[in-house]
Amino acid sequence: MKITFNWLKEYLEAENLDPEEVSTLLTMSGTEVKKLDYVGERYRNIVIGKIIDFYPHPNADKLSVCKVDIGSKRLNIVCGAKNFDREDKVAVALEGAVVEGQLIRKVNIRGEVSEGMLCSEKELGISNDGSGIMILDQGFVVGESFSRSMGLDDIVIELEITPNRPDCLSVIGVAREVSVLTGAKFVIPWHDRGKEIKLKEDSLDGDLSISIEDYKLCPRYSARIFYDVPKTPSPFWLRNRLILCDLRPVDLIVDLTNYVMLETGQPLHAFDKDLLVSNKIIVRRARSGEKIRTIDDVERILDEDMLVIADERRAVAIAGVMGGKETEINPETHNVLLESANFWGPGIMRTSKKLGLRTEASNRFEKKIDPMLTIFAIKRFEDLLTKITGYKSETSIYDNFRRVQRERKIDLRLAKVKKLLGKELDSHTVSNILKGLGIENTVERDIVKATVPSFRFEDLEREVDLIEEIARIYGYEKFDIIPPVCSLRKGGYSFQQKVIKNLRQTLCDIGLNEVINYSFLSRSLFESFGLHLEKEYSNPVKILNPITEDFELLRSSLLPSMVRNVKNNINHGIKDIRIFEISRIFRKSENSKAPVEKNTLGVILSGRAKAKGWDEEEEFYNYYHLKGILEFISSKFICSDFVINPQEYRFFHPRVSGDVLIEDSKVGIIGKVHPVLLEKMEIEQDIFYLELNLDDFVSKVEFERKFKSIPAYPSVEIDLAIVVDEDVKNYEIEQEIRKSGGKILRNVRLFDVYRGKQIEPGKKSMAYSLVFREEERTLKDREVEIVVEKILDNLKRKFGARLRS
Amino acid sequence: MGNVSIDEKLNLELESFLKDIEATESLDELEKVKTKYLGRKSFLSTVLKNIGTLDPAERPIVGKKANDVRKTIESKINDKEKYLKDLEFEKKLREEKVDLTLPGKKLPSGKKNIISKVIEEIEEIFIGMGFEIAEGPEVETDYYNFEALNTPKDHPARSLHDTFFISEDILLRTHTSPVQIRYMESHKPPIYIIAPGKVYRRDYDVSHTPMFTQIEGLAVDKDINFGNLKWVLQTFAHEVFGKDRKVRFRPHYFPFTEPSVEVDVSCNICDGKGCRVCSNTGWLEIMGAGMVDPNLYSFVGYNEEEVSGFAFGMGVERICMLKYGIDDLRLFFENDLRFISQF
Repeated sequence: MKITFNWLKEYLEAENLDPEEVSTLLTMSGTEVKKLDYVGERYRNIVIGKIIDFYPHPNADKLSVCKVDIGSKRLNIVCGAKNFDREDKVAVALEGAVVEGQLIRKVNIRGEVSEGMLCSEKELGISNDGSGIMILDQGFVVGESFSRSMGLDDIVIELEITPNRPDCLSVIGVAREVSVLTGAKFVIPWHDRGKEIKLKEDSLDGDLSISIEDYKLCPRYSARIFYDVPKTPSPFWLRNRLILCDLRPVDLIVDLTNYVMLETGQPLHAFDKDLLVSNKIIVRRARSGEKIRTIDDVERILDEDMLVIADERRAVAIAGVMGGKETEINPETHNVLLESANFWGPGIMRTSKKLGLRTEASNRFEKKIDPMLTIFAIKRFEDLLTKITGYKSETSIYDNFRRVQRERKIDLRLAKVKKLLGKELDSHTVSNILKGLGIENTVERDIVKATVPSFRFEDLEREVDLIEEIARIYGYEKFDIIPPVCSLRKGGYSFQQKVIKNLRQTLCDIGLNEVINYSFLSRSLFESFGLHLEKEYSNPVKILNPITEDFELLRSSLLPSMVRNVKNNINHGIKDIRIFEISRIFRKSENSKAPVEKNTLGVILSGRAKAKGWDEEEEFYNYYHLKGILEFISSKFICSDFVINPQEYRFFHPRVSGDVLIEDSKVGIIGKVHPVLLEKMEIEQDIFYLELNLDDFVSKVEFERKFKSIPAYPSVEIDLAIVVDEDVKNYEIEQEIRKSGGKILRNVRLFDVYRGKQIEPGKKSMAYSLVFREEERTLKDREVEIVVEKILDNLKRKFGARLRS
Repeated sequence: MGNVSIDEKLNLELESFLKDIEATESLDELEKVKTKYLGRKSFLSTVLKNIGTLDPAERPIVGKKANDVRKTIESKINDKEKYLKDLEFEKKLREEKVDLTLPGKKLPSGKKNIISKVIEEIEEIFIGMGFEIAEGPEVETDYYNFEALNTPKDHPARSLHDTFFISEDILLRTHTSPVQIRYMESHKPPIYIIAPGKVYRRDYDVSHTPMFTQIEGLAVDKDINFGNLKWVLQTFAHEVFGKDRKVRFRPHYFPFTEPSVEVDVSCNICDGKGCRVCSNTGWLEIMGAGMVDPNLYSFVGYNEEEVSGFAFGMGVERICMLKYGIDDLRLFFENDLRFISQF
């Protein structure tokens, strides 16, 4: 919200308020000042001048030479505009002024000296009109500063008002804050000048009646009719104040409604009274499908949750949000009906949200403003109208108001202040701060009995709310910094957190980079990976209100987004990619409304494992690099090995696709991304992908190891090469060797796989190195031979294996 | 054997040897010297061979003398041989062609994501103060995300959180604050936790991403006060941004804290004088905080007269941006390896 410093000062009795100081005090008490804009500075060296005489430039057809009186002297100014005459008052930029970024200097234009510049409204930043120079009203005084004459000699204060302080969405609200912060007295400078106005409760007396269908939605509706309003344009000071506060001037009546809203916080709406079908105002729910064209010229379709202001024929305004086009103030308006009402905040918020229409009015209403403001705002409107135009009105204010309790008593214990804030404050300090905020109170021993006024009724409900008021006005910086006194305790990570942290570090240490993707996935990407056809992944969580189709689903696998990371990096020229991500994946749950979330690790290898170096050959990533990572993880974190069980997934190469098991339970998948999929995505290199469910993985992890004594007796190493059918898997052979080898077999390691000349087609040779050892003695050769024979026998029986000679 | 005595001759032979060995510069020459003085045809061999022909009285004297000479010669040759071998080896080493400036063998280097790195750094600061790490679901219920955080339906503060919905009351959490409620529900004070995690808001432009990262904090105990909040958060800010930075506590509003605070540190770019980064204020906002609103205690079944506490929340990406001078939020989720590998 923007207000101006001069405006603020109208409500304060203070000689020397320093804007910087006020700004700091506001910020440090919770009304954050985002920016102070010294707009007056922009008009330095621009004054009011009067054109005494002018004649065509002797050497240029399109220019004139003007003699301009600026009070202290007369200037010679060359001007290109034609829209002026003698005696016209104009804005003169003198030497040293800056207009549209240009420094004004004394120059010679084709033989004529020009000692300044006559400015257009556009050049002055007042409007977009650059067609000619700005001609000022005759009331302006020659020699005076332009900015002062125009009400532009001001400072714009840009504030961030928190949602709990609707009272501060107004000049008056902010002035109250400044008052308690600086000690400057808060005053209402116009209040007494207004005459007493009769209030009429909901009664038809010929002029107007107000009917409210539901007082919850509209606790109060006040209105007044102004007959024969003068057609005076808004004075410059009014227009400029609105411009400075980011509102667009329209005409006097509309400008005044906006001005009073900024000043008091009470939104007003003006109807052309003669465009209403009767003298009856109805505040009712909209009918389902009811239409209204709002003043922004958009047709809005309403529903029954929305509140409208209607006459007896149709809706004429969306209550608290925006008025209707048909009844708006227009150049022909004679009689104005001014609405100053109070609407139920949540209702306005819903309406505004549903319509996608947020206005200055709805923003205020949705935060629940004080219903006591309505009459005050109407009075201020009249006060300004009278001051500007001399207009006098004898009409009554109509006021339909279901009175509610708007005063609240709260007991504030000084002991509680001390307990919560850590500092003892005396009753005098506490009482004075509250009084400064307009909260009347009396002190009874250690309790301050406070009465919350209507304008703070919504946000000051409890003792703690008053304690906050005291803390922020007293100043947060004045509270001591105190280390907490508590018993010593153990902080730290849980086991799972430790494992995951360690895993992240491990993966980085072996050269992988960590990516973090959005949890979202588009349906098209989801389906292009065939995830909708894979049972485990086919149940993704849908977002009801995605921003774009990229955010339609929550990921049920990390694969698609990580493949996209590969693609994007290739586009940047990075082709050797090893990345991992640790994030949650989401799947619909069968027995709960909330989905299942699983901590998941994704790893991708693609491109070269090694670049060609001066002493090494280029090497491309393959499946076994990825499996190596898995084995490294297993040696670092767990005792049991990962086992790969071939299993086809649509997104993987049919032969390079498997489940990752630990102790026979599935913890993940591993494979080579399907070449057809990559072709579709225009990726021209292999991608290998591993996904581990970390929750399952962590349950298998054993960080702590037990010591085993170092072998005291030598071991015997035997190499065994066998020939088997192609289909026989290494894992099956190894399992059999281990089983047959018994307890003296300590280690089995495959060291060669051979297909070729000496082996018949359809077969392969597998060579294993076996290590035998006995714990308590040296093994005899014969013992080992017996075991090896047994192994061979079993391999022969199970797999038709024969010893390779 | 002429006029000159054998003894004399042996002396002459030794003298000659010493001269020769002195002049020897290679193992080949040394071999020749060795043959010349110790070989079968050498003077010394001749003397020793013919010793039997000598006068028996002379024999032991000549014999001893000859042996002494031989030992001297042998030892000198050995020394010289060792010396020459060392020299030759040294020469061979020096002749090896090595370019020490060739590149070393590459070990792959991987980097943690900057977000993880900063989360871990922050976790360690709080763990040092006795905090534990808590977690909560990213898909939340309306109750935990809003209702129990003192933000009922139609509360104006809800409009600050544009929310992604899964169903009418299941949503993507808009902040990590629901962890506060979940943790308090399942634990009794004293509570000292922080909760890092992903959060989601329906906002997507230059300065907003639909997903970002927050760290929540909560301390609830018998006698926690506002001064304690200031101590913990100032200590944190000094650890992350440096002890020389000023820390400022400014009143603000959050539905679930009362009083509420925003914490600023003095701008490191302009040293508090005001610049573009700090929008000319000299201060950078780093987090929101406040004393836990007593309404929350009633949601989790605590007696508000018996406990008090503070909570805080910060955006990890913002902390990263301020700490590392990163000027574009979108970089965090583009996963450009040229960005990731920098940290």
